[in-house]
Amino acid sequence: MSGESATTAIHKGQVDLLDFIDWTSVECLNQSTTHSLPNAIKQGYREDEGLHLESDADEQLLLYIPFTQVIKLYSIAFKGPEDEGPKTVKLFSNKEHMGFSNVNDYPPSDTVVLSPEHLQVGKPVLLKYVKFQNVRSLTIFIEDNQTGSEITKVQKIQLIGSTVETTDMKGLKKIEDH
Amino acid sequence: MVLEATMICIDNSEWMRNGDYSPSRFQAQADAVNLICGAKTQSNPENTVGVLIMAGKGVRVLVTPTSDLGKILACMHGLEVGGEMNLAAGIQVAQLALKHRQNKKQQQRIIVFAGSPVKHEKKMLEMIGRKLKKNSVALDIVNFGEDDEEKTEKLESLLAAVNNNDTSHIVHVPAGPNALSDVLISTPIFTGDGEGGSGFAAAAAAAAAGGVSGYDFGVDPNLDPELALALRVSMEEERARQEAAAKKAAEDTSKQGGEQQAGSQEASSQDATMTERASASTSEAENKTTDLMDDENALLQQALAMSMDEPAVGHDVKDTDMSEASVDDPELALALQLSVADSTKDQASQSEVLADQSAVSDILASLPGVDLNDPSIKDLLASMQNKSELQKKNDDKSSNEEKK
Repeated sequence: MSGESATTAIHKGQVDLLDFIDWTSVECLNQSTTHSLPNAIKQGYREDEGLHLESDADEQLLLYIPFTQVIKLYSIAFKGPEDEGPKTVKLFSNKEHMGFSNVNDYPPSDTVVLSPEHLQVGKPVLLKYVKFQNVRSLTIFIEDNQTGSEITKVQKIQLIGSTVETTDMKGLKKIEDH
Repeated sequence: MVLEATMICIDNSEWMRNGDYSPSRFQAQADAVNLICGAKTQSNPENTVGVLIMAGKGVRVLVTPTSDLGKILACMHGLEVGGEMNLAAGIQVAQLALKHRQNKKQQQRIIVFAGSPVKHEKKMLEMIGRKLKKNSVALDIVNFGEDDEEKTEKLESLLAAVNNNDTSHIVHVPAGPNALSDVLISTPIFTGDGEGGSGFAAAAAAAAAGGVSGYDFGVDPNLDPELALALRVSMEEERARQEAAAKKAAEDTSKQGGEQQAGSQEASSQDATMTERASASTSEAENKTTDLMDDENALLQQALAMSMDEPAVGHDVKDTDMSEASVDDPELALALQLSVADSTKDQASQSEVLADQSAVSDILASLPGVDLNDPSIKDLLASMQNKSELQKKNDDKSSNEEKK
């Protein structure tokens, strides 16, 4: 983790937002039951090469990630196979319960186009910081994948940012959990 | 008890006039819908159910998902039969209605009654199925009425496209003497996934089987759900209270197998007996703590632990006494028997050794440390209540001897 942060230049003050995710309300539409969302974002699971998130009926995925407190999102990193990894990813902040039918109704807060290089190392993509100043929940819409195959696979998703309030308590909890 | 929003798609096409299901296909369908609504709302009060018709002038939503059973039943009145069923549009409108449900935490489910022939292409149905799966909507299909192979094949392929982890089901109901609702009661459509049958479904099944339209408490849950619920809750509370009382009796029994006899002889009422046991148990507990302090041998503690279970061991004499005591209260009798049976199994070997009262005193006499003339031991021997204390002491010594 520290090696990765050195190469990906996580700015001072930015942390991996893994610990601020509200796991009880995390949702993912069109995920395969065997390869589900925790495989891509949970600590330990996402590092495991054998575990990944896979789409089911078609290649699109809709992830809903609420946070336990308000955060600012700085960058996002995806890691996945070069052929079936995600390509166009749209991010929506603070939109709850979106469905595939209304993803095109709102303009996304940001759009990320991933290249195979991004996917290979999980290189973070800087986002429009001003749009993600006050994020309670993040909706990630994976529109298509690199080769247009039937199934999209995501090995790891990493959210990097900072919290709005200082949270020493949360920091203590983090150590205990691991 | 899964939180669910359900949309029921009714087929009110011309094919429903047919009488091969009694009294008519449409009527049988309506009965089934009523039952399903009731079952859903009963299994979880926050569940919502909505109804739409697929034929007639066109697909029309009669009632949006609501937990108000009366509203749902009312909308079933005065429905006309006619037109052709539009399955694809019906399912899509149902999906839309579910999308706009108020409580987004509810799981989405569509129940389709497919009575008339299906005129859509298989591919189209599969596409619809995939879309449902993508949006995590479960689909239950009731295939009844018209029966042709193509229809069955199409519906099966639709189910295969939707099915995600067995949350969707299809039921084929052939025409016959059995009512549509009766057949559905035993299916997973009614019982929910892996729930093994809701209470309502079980009651309805029993009522249907008995041929009586009786309900649990003589109150129709449909007509007066609040009263039925109140009666059911009070019944369960009463049952829970009785179980708790029986459990308490069983616990006391297992602690005080010996005291039982004395208690039963002295007091006829159950209350007095339980008080007796309670007081005796505290005295025994004190004695046990003293022993622990005297000898810190871990093995001794083990022996103590065994002997603490031991009073529950059924001796021949005590067995009869216990059964006598419990005649008054059948529940208490059952609890006693259970505790005796359980402890007898556990302590089989020990019970054999200690079954004979005289053998116990003989063993005591043979022990080096015990003098039968010791006044304290005499007191103990004299009192019935402390019989188990002796047995425990005996256990300590014999186990100590063995270890040495």
